[in-house]
Amino acid sequence: MTLLENLQHANPALWSPEWLPRLPQRLVEILLQSCGAPDWLVTLAGLFVAAGTVVGVFLSAFALLSLIERKTLARAQNRIGPNRAGWFGILQPVADGIKMLTKEDIVPAKAEWLLHLAAPILIVVPPILALGVIPYGREWVPVRVELGLLFFFAVGTLTELSVFMAGWASGSKFPMLGAMRAISQMVSYELPLMISALGVIMVTGSLSLPAIVAHQAGFHLGFIPAWNLFTPWGLSAGLIFYVASIAEANRCPFDLPEGESEIVAGHMTEYSGFKYALFFMGEYLGLFSIAGLGVTLFLGGWQAPLPGLGLVPSWIWFFAKLAVVIMSYLWIRATFPRVRIDQLMRFAWLCLIPMALLTIPAAAIWHYAGGGVLGWLATVPLLLIPWVVLTVVYNRRLAPTTRSYTFADS
Amino acid sequence: MDPSSTIQRLPAPPQPRRWSLPGWGLIQGLGVTALNIVQSYYRKERMTTVQYPEERAPISPNFRNFPFLCYDGSDPVAGLRCTACSICEKECPPQCIYIVLDRDENGKSLKRPRIFDIDLSVCMNCGICSEVCPFDSIYMDGEYELSTDDRFGGLLFGLDRLSKSADYHMQLRPLQATEIATRRKADEDKKLAAQAAKLAKAKADKEKKDQEMAESQPEGESA
Amino acid sequence: MTPLLILTPLILLAALGAVWNARPVHAALLLALALALIAVLYLIIGADFIGLVQFMVYVGAIAVLIVFSLLITRPGDEAEELARRPRSLVTGLACVLPVLAILVYAVSRVVKFPDAPVENPSVSIAQVGQVLFTSYAPAVLTVGVLLTAVMIGAALFARDPGKNPQFPSDS
Repeated sequence: MTLLENLQHANPALWSPEWLPRLPQRLVEILLQSCGAPDWLVTLAGLFVAAGTVVGVFLSAFALLSLIERKTLARAQNRIGPNRAGWFGILQPVADGIKMLTKEDIVPAKAEWLLHLAAPILIVVPPILALGVIPYGREWVPVRVELGLLFFFAVGTLTELSVFMAGWASGSKFPMLGAMRAISQMVSYELPLMISALGVIMVTGSLSLPAIVAHQAGFHLGFIPAWNLFTPWGLSAGLIFYVASIAEANRCPFDLPEGESEIVAGHMTEYSGFKYALFFMGEYLGLFSIAGLGVTLFLGGWQAPLPGLGLVPSWIWFFAKLAVVIMSYLWIRATFPRVRIDQLMRFAWLCLIPMALLTIPAAAIWHYAGGGVLGWLATVPLLLIPWVVLTVVYNRRLAPTTRSYTFADS
Repeated sequence: MDPSSTIQRLPAPPQPRRWSLPGWGLIQGLGVTALNIVQSYYRKERMTTVQYPEERAPISPNFRNFPFLCYDGSDPVAGLRCTACSICEKECPPQCIYIVLDRDENGKSLKRPRIFDIDLSVCMNCGICSEVCPFDSIYMDGEYELSTDDRFGGLLFGLDRLSKSADYHMQLRPLQATEIATRRKADEDKKLAAQAAKLAKAKADKEKKDQEMAESQPEGESA
Repeated sequence: MTPLLILTPLILLAALGAVWNARPVHAALLLALALALIAVLYLIIGADFIGLVQFMVYVGAIAVLIVFSLLITRPGDEAEELARRPRSLVTGLACVLPVLAILVYAVSRVVKFPDAPVENPSVSIAQVGQVLFTSYAPAVLTVGVLLTAVMIGAALFARDPGKNPQFPSDS
């Protein structure tokens, strides 16, 4: 069959906007099939192109985000951001890339060069792997894994090991101290992250991310979407997931590992040039992947927010929600000061983990009460009262009060 | 607190409320930032950025940089106030001024400098030359975009680059220039008045003498 | 079969390196590598759940625990590390070989090597969860109690409020 006949016999929805993200993969597959390539080559090439599309889209999104972040932070600080490189600074990421590529690559003499080299490479791999299992649209998951959520968390834990390698292999005090703090922060906040996702798994009954998104289809009362965020346990778990994801991605206000005024650049101190760019890229790609997971678990993935808006392609909804979540990360970064390491740990272990543990029985009660008014009545006190106890009663003595000066008042 | 202590104290700040919604402060903070982001687009006076080199931030009249020489009128050679007295050259701490007096062919001083060089790479912007000048001729300028790639002579300014008009001085430091202008005008008026008084006195003396001569003349003729 | 042939020597090399290496950090990282390769082995033979859980628990939690404790307690004392090479091969072999023999015997009772390959058992996570929390519930609860005791003990050991009361809750 000629190529044209092949295209004509292809799925008629090939050129529709819903199929647009899969277009490169499908084109390559059709091309190879018409050349008579064996099946395994067709599949392999299709997978390569799918992976390439994901990586390409998210790397350009990373470049764009670095510029948008600088300009948004600048506007929040009453100044204009970068506007010299190109119209409105649009070429600033290109300028940053050129700068990073042409910088000298310095490896300290006391450093172990193999681990020093392996750490930035290993820190970029987990987010890219994790981005492969997120459903971006109705028709498009790059890799369909039945245990998608477990795969996501499993590759997420590789990041901590590479942070340790970066800190240890640099051979100096600041990176080691920074790595210690970074690992303790990431390990502490992994727990609320995973426990809050447990409620979603329980209610959905499946670990596969497309199934979780499909479970959130439909609308309550005709116009409220049936997303997990609009249930009491979902609201609590969603907020906990949101806060824990900020800490996992080392973003302000939890960016103690890379706080410049405290510890130079923490575990990234002894890195220069492209390796530093790889760390930067790993952090932002991790942000994308964990925000994407949050959208999938709690905000309904690619589901449209109102009944009539199903005409708009599903991947547009996904990226719109992802953009909203990322903008909220930027807003939070512009507003809050950095928390200290002891405040950070206290918050994780004494507030987030108890609340996250409470969402599990709340989700179970909601599931067996069948949702609706009974579910709300049963689960809201279960979540609200401990929260009030934790924040008002237990943590009140940690709240700021008027200072007393021991030397000035004597 | 010691009652006999004489330290001035401010009143105690108001006590925070006993209980507020947990997280209310966070939300207030988010509101402030959101207000900043939204208003930065249509309220231009919020933005403190000065887009150098298209715009420049205004400099204050107290800002001083390197010196310049003041001349009256429009001729930088004839109106130059400097008389090459070399007081600034002697008082300059890093010795960055070099003056050569202009003499005519007989060796008589022409009361103006032939060479007046200031090495800007040595000058430390202290302003002592301006303080000690008795002829109101050297003042501190406010120009800062003076970078050059000529290491050896690029920052050695001569008479041509140092001479700037009194109008420029008025624009740069209005208060100081006005004060100097009024004082100089007052001095000049006093000098003119003294000259006019001397002329008037001389004229009165001459008239009196003529009258005496005229009185003595007809007496001689009538005898 | 080919992936297994490539993977198994790598696992053995990594494990040997973990045992033989004199520097603790390198040994810990090689151990993490060996555990990660074992997770890959599980994934290749079709045990998805166990493979991912192995990765998450062993590489993500236990290896991190080991390196974290190394970070805290040993700030890089190289001469001391290099001097602690294992010296007695005979004692080591005498301890290891009986255990290895028991393991080989136990496995050979179950697996008829080199017969036809066993088909991959397809066990769903729901079944695993069901069995774990009904038949094996006492074991799970006991492990939970043990872990709680360990955590409380570690927290009590780690802090001494009399020495440095820097936090308001300590004094």
